[in-house]
Amino acid sequence: MRSLIIIVVVLVLAGSRAWMRRHRRQTRPDTAHTYWGPVSSGVGLVAARDVRERVKSRIFIVGTLFILAVVAASIIIPTLNKSRISTQVVGVVGTLSAPYRSTAVSSAHSVGTKIRFVDEPTLARAQRDLRSGNIDFAIIDAQRIEVNKAVSASDSSTTAQTVGAVALGLGQDRAVAAAQLDPAQIAILQGIKPLPVKGLHAGTPAKPVRAVSLIGVILIFVMLSQYNTWILIGVMEEKSSRVIEVLLATLRPIQLLTGKVLGIGLVAFAQAALILAFALGLASAVGSNVLHGTGPIELASSLVWLVVGYAFYSWVYAAAGSMAERQDQVQTLAFPLSLPMIFGYVVALTSASSASVSLLVKVLAYLPPTAPFEMPVLVGRSDVTWWQFSASIVISLVATVGLARLASRIYRRAILRTGRRVKWREVLGHGAV
Amino acid sequence: MGDLLELDGLTRRYGAVTALDDLSFSVPAGQVVGFLGPNGAGKTTTMRAVFALTDLDAGTVRWKGAPVGEAQRRRFGYMPEERGLYPNMLVGEQLEYLARLHGMGPADAKSAVTSLLERLGIAERVGSKVETLSHGNQQRVQLAAALVHSPELLLLDEPLAGLDPSGIDTIGEVLVEQAKAGCCVLFSSHQLDQVEDLCESVTIIDHGRLIVSGRVDDLATSGPRRLVVRVEGDRDAAWARSLSGVTISEVGGGEVRLVLGEDVDSDVVLRAASAAGRLTEFVFARRRLSEVFREALG
Repeated sequence: MRSLIIIVVVLVLAGSRAWMRRHRRQTRPDTAHTYWGPVSSGVGLVAARDVRERVKSRIFIVGTLFILAVVAASIIIPTLNKSRISTQVVGVVGTLSAPYRSTAVSSAHSVGTKIRFVDEPTLARAQRDLRSGNIDFAIIDAQRIEVNKAVSASDSSTTAQTVGAVALGLGQDRAVAAAQLDPAQIAILQGIKPLPVKGLHAGTPAKPVRAVSLIGVILIFVMLSQYNTWILIGVMEEKSSRVIEVLLATLRPIQLLTGKVLGIGLVAFAQAALILAFALGLASAVGSNVLHGTGPIELASSLVWLVVGYAFYSWVYAAAGSMAERQDQVQTLAFPLSLPMIFGYVVALTSASSASVSLLVKVLAYLPPTAPFEMPVLVGRSDVTWWQFSASIVISLVATVGLARLASRIYRRAILRTGRRVKWREVLGHGAV
Repeated sequence: MGDLLELDGLTRRYGAVTALDDLSFSVPAGQVVGFLGPNGAGKTTTMRAVFALTDLDAGTVRWKGAPVGEAQRRRFGYMPEERGLYPNMLVGEQLEYLARLHGMGPADAKSAVTSLLERLGIAERVGSKVETLSHGNQQRVQLAAALVHSPELLLLDEPLAGLDPSGIDTIGEVLVEQAKAGCCVLFSSHQLDQVEDLCESVTIIDHGRLIVSGRVDDLATSGPRRLVVRVEGDRDAAWARSLSGVTISEVGGGEVRLVLGEDVDSDVVLRAASAAGRLTEFVFARRRLSEVFREALG
């Protein structure tokens, strides 16, 4: 899973950069004369245009297919691994009694493998079969085991694990036999159980995060990165193409900005819903237990935090986009903006694989820039109450309202200043447009 | 018809720079009005002020006697100096979108786009991306973007810049049609000959202040007498430089335009010109708009 996560992060970052470079060539030609539907308000028209332009773009189609492929792989591959029990071929030189064979089979079963015995007439023949790969290992006269390549304690291969388990099982059987115990004593030894361990204080049982929340966090990161980049580029593109002055002659800046945020947000939400529906349907179809036991709360949590996270970050990226009019300027602006997201994402993933939730995660779960990543993890671990969840949302929404006002102000001041990159102090200081 | 657009005391400062300095003038309906001034005079800032694209330190923009608000601005058309359209959008799709932003319904928008593109001679480009069009055709689409919703007021910032004679003729005809239909048209340009041909009135500003405003005919016939003299082989009008009370206004194309002082006898000029060479033209003329412009700015 960690490898998958790292791959996703790398691909998302690489994809964002590639899209920034190529976005001008990624709109598919369309020969149809358009119908804009029933939406009549300025905000609605702007949103509808953005929905249409984004959905028909090649990057959206390819990106959606890519995410669906990743989700499908994360659901199907564990199912395949689970259903495929490997069989080890074991050469037997000399005599291996039925009880020993039974012990070897049960030992192999304990590490998830089956074994099939092949009688070898001589040791030399067995060693030849080992070298040629016809057998995985050989039991010699029930006294030792030979393998083609020596195994170490850290070797996690199926053969190494099976050899280790069989060697231990046969060794115990030989020790019991050497002790010449009566059947009652043998039965006692076979019924060995570990001693109970009791603590003075009740401990907190480890609650590993559920897969759906983990996948949700990954999707939130992927989609926030993708759609905020769209916002950034979209605003910059309107400025650099100078169409902005034509639009602002008709619309107020806040209308244009809201329409763009809303339109791209609708695309993001629809894509997320499609992916989740696909994941649930596929998991059900292949009998995966990845989503087994997932309640509607976890699913709803991921969707809610995608929306809340998008609402928060979209204004930041829109304001930044209004300050740039070239690709290099956009990339310079985008990197620092992505740092809180990357930080929140990495902390969330680290927390998901640890035994307990750290104080850092609990604090970050209430900060708007990181809450979209931490709160789904807490939900997945059942480490948050409904009012804590709600409080975090309220904090994020209040911050979003303030941020939207600030972004609108920055946007209005920066969007018509062309010819160079606008500096933060120029748009945050006092004075008129 | 009375004045529809009134700009009253517009003032805009950028730090130590005063872009508009108590600027006031008005634009009547049914006329094409030229808006002139040197670079940096404040023309673009004035137009942006009408659309609230820049804040004003003082002053009011009125339309039909009332301060301009959002609803009024949706009835205005604007062609900014820095042309701007979505490069990847199709021409028809883009114009419909802009028409809808101005409040038109889908069917009306589509119909208006079709007829307007036909009028501008680019109907066959309705399904083309804007970025694939020639400069001239992009300019026509930009004009269509300002006209698509049949505006009551049309503000055009340098609409003729970069156009070939055919494009200038087409856009000029459209502007005159709009004015005849009752639209209030104000456009800025540095191409004074075209302005003179198209406009009934002009307003000239400099350093954000009004310099002169009036009908082109009135401005052309006002001021001192002017003579156009053409002497064969004469390129620099050296013969006229020594004449007392006579100022050379323009020299070019083999002719010299002279401004005569009140007490100058035109016969004196005639004799001087005849002495310089074979005289092929000697006629009193109206003041050109370029002369109005230059003399107004000092």
